[in-house]
Amino acid sequence: MFRRISKSIRQRLLFLTAGNLLLMGVILANLLSGDDSTTASALDRFGTVLMDAGPNVAPVILAGLGLTGIIFAGALDLSIGSMMVVAGTVFGILFSRGFDPAACFLGCFLTAFVLSNFNGLLIRWLEISPIIVTLAGLTFYRGLALIMADAFIPDFGGSIAVHDDAYHGPGQRYPGQILLIAILAALAWETWGKLPRVWLAHGCSPEACRLHGLKPGLILQSTFFAGGIFLGLAALVDVTNRQNLEPARMARGFELEVIGAIVLGGTNIFGGEGSFLGTILGAFFLYFVGQTLLYADVDLYYREAIQGALIVIVIGVDCALHRRQKLLDELK
Amino acid sequence: MRPYLLPILLLAEIALFTAISDVQFGSVADFVDYFRYYLMDLVPQAAPVLILSFGMTVVMLTAGIDLSVGSMVVLVACVMSQFEGDQQFWMTAIPIGIGLAFTLGFVNGSLVAWLDVPPIIATLGTMMFYRGACSIVMGDRENDPFYDVPGYEWFAGTVGTVVVVGILFALGGSWLQWSRWRRELLMLGGNRVAARYAGIPVTKRLLQVYSLMGLLTFPAALCFTAHDGAVNAGSLPGLELKVIVAVVLGGTQVEGGKGSVFGSVIGALLIAVLDEGLRGASGWGDRNLPFEISHLRFVLLGGLLLLGVWLNSHADKSRPLNPASPTATPKPT
Repeated sequence: MFRRISKSIRQRLLFLTAGNLLLMGVILANLLSGDDSTTASALDRFGTVLMDAGPNVAPVILAGLGLTGIIFAGALDLSIGSMMVVAGTVFGILFSRGFDPAACFLGCFLTAFVLSNFNGLLIRWLEISPIIVTLAGLTFYRGLALIMADAFIPDFGGSIAVHDDAYHGPGQRYPGQILLIAILAALAWETWGKLPRVWLAHGCSPEACRLHGLKPGLILQSTFFAGGIFLGLAALVDVTNRQNLEPARMARGFELEVIGAIVLGGTNIFGGEGSFLGTILGAFFLYFVGQTLLYADVDLYYREAIQGALIVIVIGVDCALHRRQKLLDELK
Repeated sequence: MRPYLLPILLLAEIALFTAISDVQFGSVADFVDYFRYYLMDLVPQAAPVLILSFGMTVVMLTAGIDLSVGSMVVLVACVMSQFEGDQQFWMTAIPIGIGLAFTLGFVNGSLVAWLDVPPIIATLGTMMFYRGACSIVMGDRENDPFYDVPGYEWFAGTVGTVVVVGILFALGGSWLQWSRWRRELLMLGGNRVAARYAGIPVTKRLLQVYSLMGLLTFPAALCFTAHDGAVNAGSLPGLELKVIVAVVLGGTQVEGGKGSVFGSVIGALLIAVLDEGLRGASGWGDRNLPFEISHLRFVLLGGLLLLGVWLNSHADKSRPLNPASPTATPKPT
């Protein structure tokens, strides 16, 4: 797989690997230089940071793997955060009505899965650019979640408290395992599977795909189908990790975090180029940046601005590096 | 979309919301009075969206988009709110606000024009960055020096907002309508490569467009702060979406190459009537709906955006279909 991907993405993967190692080094140095800690306790805390990274970053990576496939094919889904909120609300409704944990988990997963497929269908039916359809979805689904919560949860006061441990299984007990299986499956699929390559081909030229005998509409739908599975898992892990479900505040800015990880990972936002591995490394990079700021005692108010600036800078530099090639392509 | 559809839609919306609000008309005079006050209240409410929709229309002519407008307005307002509310405010906060608004737009323009970052990604990033900057400036506080500034409340009144919006659209709009600049932007939005071949300075035009968008966030912040009187880091959530929906409903094509600022005025009024109507219908909603009626705003905004784009690209049979097929990649700009 590594040999098949283009040179620029290979460079990006190496950059991200080095960046992640560097950030881990900075966190370790911060822990070691703390006044009140010994080397052993610092190493112990560093181990905890590493062990916590997987579960904390799981929703971003899981949703990111799904969205990467969608972006491969030249589409985009800006409504993933809002779809997760609807999934969380369905979970809350089922919980408040006394359903089994298994039914709640299934309801949450299926909601995200169905909505993702619905987005794909809508893009095909209305023949409108995916960005606009899902920008509308971003606000529509958030409103839908609020309406559903108001209408179907008895005495809903803005949030639903889930204090029963049985309902926190995937999010609190098995997030690492779910993430690991999803990552291995995605990487194996990328290495040996055919469909991700078809998506990339579609991202390069839908017309060429059509002439080759493939059906562009079905290819696009298949990305939203696979994306729905990953998004369902992301919603499940994220929702069951929370003690309180607040539809108005949940997953705000989630789509930006995921798109940031994907673009950092070297995937071209217009499709046709990219890798699942890049998304995984990109998500860890963003997480470790957040952790580094946390351990460096940077004010909470500065964090959002710094992370926003970092995404803009990395994407800006990347686009600037490819600008020459793009202009040359235009001239052809 | 056919041009007469928009005013009809606007009237239908006003009629619908008046019907479900709790007002009773005893006589014709009541009726006239009600709508006089309604219109006098509507323009100050809609002023930020109206002003920003002008800039967003121009941005969309170039096949771009600016998602950071809401954050820019709030950041300008936050920085202006750091100054004391006295006579000096006009000499300190106002020039700084104008300079900052222009700079923020220029940063967006640099990312799009010089670094070639896709507008939606560039402005999504700056949206987050500028909101973060609001938190840095304000923390958890809410500042309200604006009511103490002498003469500032003029921008909250009907006359003030009508003058600001009127000057922008009457002078700016008509200049734009007949200028070569607009035609260059249309060509740039329609086909960037062709525009480059035709000798249009693409980079310069994009910088100008995004800087103009930034600059317009200043009057929007002025009207918003004069109307609301206070600002915090989380003010105006979702403003960018309202502006985009207004512009799209006004007939501007998201793919670029077609649009008019005058359509955007009616689009912005549609959004304002929706906002105002949902507020007025809260009593009706409490009696008849199992949920808070204000939540419908999100759903209706999303629905209107889809409807607007779909009508623009498909309903008018005299034009060829929208080139953006479901399988087409979003156009880099």
